[in-house]
Amino acid sequence: MGKPFAEKIFSARAGRDVVPGEIITVEPDYVLSHDNTAAIAATFAKMGAEKVLHPERLVIVLDHCVPAADAKHAENHKKIREFVAEQGVEHFYDVGRGICHQVLPEEGFARPGRLILGSDSHTTTYGALGAFSAGIGRSEAAAIWATGEIWLMCPESVRMNMTGEFARGVGPKDLILSIIGDVGADGMLYKSVEFAGETMEVMSVAGHMVLANMSVEMGAKNGYVAPNDKTAEWLASRESAEYEAVYPDADASYESELEYDVTDLPPMVAKPHTVDNVAPVEEVVGTAVDQVVLGTCTNGREDDLEEAARILEDRTVASGCRLLVFPASREIWREAMKSGAFEAIEGAGGIIMNAGCGPCLGAHEGVLAPGEVCLSTANRNFKGRMGTPEAEIYLASPATAAATAVEGRIADPRGYL
Amino acid sequence: MTGKPIIIEGNVWAITDADGNLYDSVDTDQIYHNQWLAVTDVAEMGKYAFGNLPGWEDFPSKAAPGDVIVTGANFGAGSSRQHAVDCFQALGIRLIIAASFGAIYRRNAINSGMPILTVLGVSAGDVATGENIKANLETGVVENLARGLTLTGEPWSDVQMDIYRAGDLFLYGRRGLQ
Repeated sequence: MGKPFAEKIFSARAGRDVVPGEIITVEPDYVLSHDNTAAIAATFAKMGAEKVLHPERLVIVLDHCVPAADAKHAENHKKIREFVAEQGVEHFYDVGRGICHQVLPEEGFARPGRLILGSDSHTTTYGALGAFSAGIGRSEAAAIWATGEIWLMCPESVRMNMTGEFARGVGPKDLILSIIGDVGADGMLYKSVEFAGETMEVMSVAGHMVLANMSVEMGAKNGYVAPNDKTAEWLASRESAEYEAVYPDADASYESELEYDVTDLPPMVAKPHTVDNVAPVEEVVGTAVDQVVLGTCTNGREDDLEEAARILEDRTVASGCRLLVFPASREIWREAMKSGAFEAIEGAGGIIMNAGCGPCLGAHEGVLAPGEVCLSTANRNFKGRMGTPEAEIYLASPATAAATAVEGRIADPRGYL
Repeated sequence: MTGKPIIIEGNVWAITDADGNLYDSVDTDQIYHNQWLAVTDVAEMGKYAFGNLPGWEDFPSKAAPGDVIVTGANFGAGSSRQHAVDCFQALGIRLIIAASFGAIYRRNAINSGMPILTVLGVSAGDVATGENIKANLETGVVENLARGLTLTGEPWSDVQMDIYRAGDLFLYGRRGLQ
């Protein structure tokens, strides 16, 4: 019997046969950190460490609160710049470059077969490019900086087979919300989830990233999409063409296999206050909304902005509703300028912000007031996620977000496309 | 290196919801709200523990050093913020027992030397706030002394025990190099 992706890459790294549940010591190819680099550096110093063992393996992207919203965040950014200079960290991306989970793929760090750990839970995103990537904590990141290595337990694997073609106005975000609603917030706890099947072959790399990004919301250790022609094309366009892909064996044995047919899938939403509180959009159509957030590391890519622009073109954001747009990176920002997507969104009354996490985690640039309702294309709607616990957050696709902005109420995008 | 206890005894806080069931999927924003993320001093984090979990906002003033937390499935779902582990360390919480832990939360706890124990299926019927329990980290056996009841948890892995004995992941790694 063959091995799934996780067991293949763990075995390759260990240089021996590794089975689920086994713990091995690995040397990650890259360790990501963002604004929390300041806290990691403090832990690093407290541990008694002085010099980062492999500064070339650190990738630091400022994105969580950029530009700094207040003196405390500004001080943290300043400390990070000083740390970067002291330690000779070459892969540093300051305020304005974009959200880490888009910057690492764009800059060629995320490639097939790579092992990337990051001090951010959505580090799972790089599985969309065939990497093994997972979130870790502050002490773990600090220890890797000092020693270059860390222990990992090989996860069990689950394969999700997607079939069918999306209906108009329905896409990867609706699919992943539907899957999370199906399996639950802990349904894939510690598992390596492989997204496979014919639907994945036609889905764009940006779509793959949506699935991998949100795999952590069902508890998964990592998400994975086997590199295909679309992946190769994407990587070639980024000058990231050199890599050694790791594929699951054709006869791999999985803990379980789940089947999803997307043919009749409607637009979906996650209702407050958990990501697995999922329903078809019809159920909540008409719910009044104060703010719509389009973008973030989940849905801030060209595909997403263009989909929203198609709906917003020659329409107007409803009075009393704010539409905030956060492209995932500066590159995407420029693309959206060139493609006309920004013109359509801005023309409708949307507010184009800089590339960054924005209000997604309650830091700044559009946090909510008590009693307000927000529909967002981000990945989390926990109580208090966007500031006050007395606000309500719905999660949905870029198309649903755009239609909702037009009506000022949660809307079904299928009537607009 | 040998000072860390393998048997932990303590007073329980059963983290229950309005219906009296152990909370499932308590997320990292409920354990440690994002508005305090810029805090870097661990000692200061204790006062924010459970600050956004309905019914438990006053936990930091109620909990005493040496207490044990018992909670439901998927505890610590969500963000990778270690504040959500450190806040309990700061309060002197000796052990967290849950039906399961969020994958990143579990690693954060293990690697920062915070004792946690998975007891599959643990429920509010097994243990209540104020009861005294005794947990063996090596075997995973948890005794509810008040009721004479025994629960079977997952024994610790060798790496978890070694990190705990060393103090944290860094001390463990350094010890390995010597």
